[in-house]
Amino acid sequence: MAGWIGYFIMVPMVYIAVAVFVIGILARVARLLASPKHPFPLRLYPVPSSARLCALKETFLMPQVRAHAPLFWVFLILFHIAFLFLFLGHLDLIPGIHLMPPDSVHMLGHGFIGLTVTLATFYFLLRRMRGTLREISVLGDYLLLLLLILLFLTGDTVSWANSWNPDGFVIGKVEFGDYLQSLLGFTFANPRDLLPGSHYIVVVLHVLLANLFLILFPFTKIMHTFFALPMNRLRRG
Amino acid sequence: MDVALQETLKGLFQTKLNREMRLYLDTCARCGVCIEACHVYASRPEARYTAVGRAEVIRRLFRQYFKAEGGIAPWLGETIALDDPTLEKVYEAAYTCTGCRRCMTYCPFGIDTQMIQSIGKLLLIGADREPKLLTMLAVKDAATTEIYTETKADFETAMKNLEAEVIEKWRSEAGEKAIPVGAIGSDVLYVALAGKHSIIPAAAIMNAAQENWSLSYFEAVNFGAFVGNPEKTQEISARIIDEATRLGAREVAVCECGTAYRVLKHQIGSQPFEVISFVELIDRYLEAGRIRLRPGTLEGRVTYHDPCQMGRNGGVLEAPRRVLRHLGAEFVEMEPNRGDNWCCGGGGGLVAMGEKDFRMWSARVKADQVKATGASVVATACENCHAQLSDLNEHYELGTRVAFLSSLVADALAGRGRSHPGG
Ligand code: HEM
Ligand code: SF4
Ligand code: SF4
Repeated sequence: MAGWIGYFIMVPMVYIAVAVFVIGILARVARLLASPKHPFPLRLYPVPSSARLCALKETFLMPQVRAHAPLFWVFLILFHIAFLFLFLGHLDLIPGIHLMPPDSVHMLGHGFIGLTVTLATFYFLLRRMRGTLREISVLGDYLLLLLLILLFLTGDTVSWANSWNPDGFVIGKVEFGDYLQSLLGFTFANPRDLLPGSHYIVVVLHVLLANLFLILFPFTKIMHTFFALPMNRLRRG
Repeated sequence: MDVALQETLKGLFQTKLNREMRLYLDTCARCGVCIEACHVYASRPEARYTAVGRAEVIRRLFRQYFKAEGGIAPWLGETIALDDPTLEKVYEAAYTCTGCRRCMTYCPFGIDTQMIQSIGKLLLIGADREPKLLTMLAVKDAATTEIYTETKADFETAMKNLEAEVIEKWRSEAGEKAIPVGAIGSDVLYVALAGKHSIIPAAAIMNAAQENWSLSYFEAVNFGAFVGNPEKTQEISARIIDEATRLGAREVAVCECGTAYRVLKHQIGSQPFEVISFVELIDRYLEAGRIRLRPGTLEGRVTYHDPCQMGRNGGVLEAPRRVLRHLGAEFVEMEPNRGDNWCCGGGGGLVAMGEKDFRMWSARVKADQVKATGASVVATACENCHAQLSDLNEHYELGTRVAFLSSLVADALAGRGRSHPGG
């Protein structure tokens, strides 16, 4: 890969992706807030004693899915919890945040979090390939899951590669910290100088896929991240 | 389809895009959890009969015309264009959905399929392709306001004739006026359906309770809601709101009609009167001892079908069960029941439209559910459900009797309650 492409992906594109992500989400939320409200309540009965608590429970524990699709529920819960930890794990790479020891070569969860999201996403993809679910799925559903799988697989590779050889090829918390620090400080330093591992190319691919994910996020159904709770509030009144 | 019509339909679609609708259209993960929720799918497992399958017809149009995706990468969301074949799909999606909202109880986000299908129904009206019978009925409903003064005398004569029947059967309960109409200062304005089955038992019960009541000139049913026409729905409701306000009624009691109840109870905003279902009124009389029932009028086992618009979507869940227990028969629940009950398959205007063939095969699960109770009487509190359950009873040879709660209660009236003065 030509050096400048790697540089573009690792630095300017990250800024672009984050900007699209933030502005996109804000625009989507603003659009909703600007739309008129529905004239009458849409709740279901019986109403729970606390609509707020019930909506919270339904948003985060998804009892409906547990009741009607138990295996799917197991993967969904694993996926979402792991996704949350993945977010924390990436946050932990920023210098000054210490969920893992500062000199760790491993991310939070020692690679198992990545494995969990990867397996769960494979399951999501496979279950979409047959029966009625296949008929109701659109191409975008598969492409989104493929994007996620590739993103996770490259992430897994980076994490796995860190255990290959402790003397020299590893990219640990300190190195990633330097890279993130340079991004946060807008130094525009060349990441190749900060990340010495031999699997740098996989890191670049991982960042490319993450950039794509961030750019697409506000325009996909994954916006349910923000909408799941308000929608459950509508149902519970 | 010509461009002008396409533009009109896009405009109509746009009018439905409020905050909640956008959430419902944008957020579906196509996870498929709702697939098993629909009675039509449960009776014939085809993707087009799932909640998400139906909604996708509308969503594909939404993505085509209201999302950037439609212009940049329509293949991602497999969008479709507004044309004749699409409108056929829209029709099938909208009019094979009874609007029961059972799927909403399955969805992890609580997506309201009835609301999404209201877009389809509006597009069909715009394209002049809606079921004409429903529109005719809606127009007729709304028009009763205009012809009200001319028909008032006829209506009063008809009610005089019904009074004779009330007095004959419930001599001791009937007061001076067995069916008061248009009485100013009534505590309860009772809104009935056109048939006498909706008026006579109710009159007997309210007379037995010595209620200060009056019968509305207008029919409760709201075909505007069935056809998905918000203006007609409001216009039809307005007749009753105006009448109740003019008469100074304290409460409007809605007869056994699920949609009428939901519209008047939950969709007309705050009014100077309360809205209750007639079943709740019966429950109140029984709890207060204002009416008494003779035990043993109901033989065998009785079960109750929760009408979707009254139960899951209206909140009347416990009153009917309390009323049935007063009748003294062996009561057995359907499984599932209350908010999870299977739709009877007759909602959304299907009973009025005829559609018997579809109604029968699409409600096989309902027939199985009734059969499993082993009940000899299926009580319900909705006109549509009553008609559909009666058809199912015959079609699937269930060997039960389908009855309105009000008529079961009226048949068991044992005179005036002890606790009421003069009783
Ligand atoms: C931390 C916030 C969240 C993130 C980042 C997130 C992200 C994701 C992603 C990436 C997928 C897989 C992609 C797909 O299949 O479309 C997914 C699927 C799903 N999520 Fe979430 N989600 C979040 C919160 C929630 C919440 C609060 C709910 C609660 C109802 C929820 C319910 C679901 C469901 C039902 C699916 C199934 C999708 C499928 O079958 O493919 N998610 N989520
Ligand atoms: S509202 Fe009822 S009929 Fe319509 S899709 Fe949902 S479950 Fe089926
Ligand atoms: S359960 Fe809800 S989110 Fe899942 S496919 Fe059905 S409507 Fe969409």
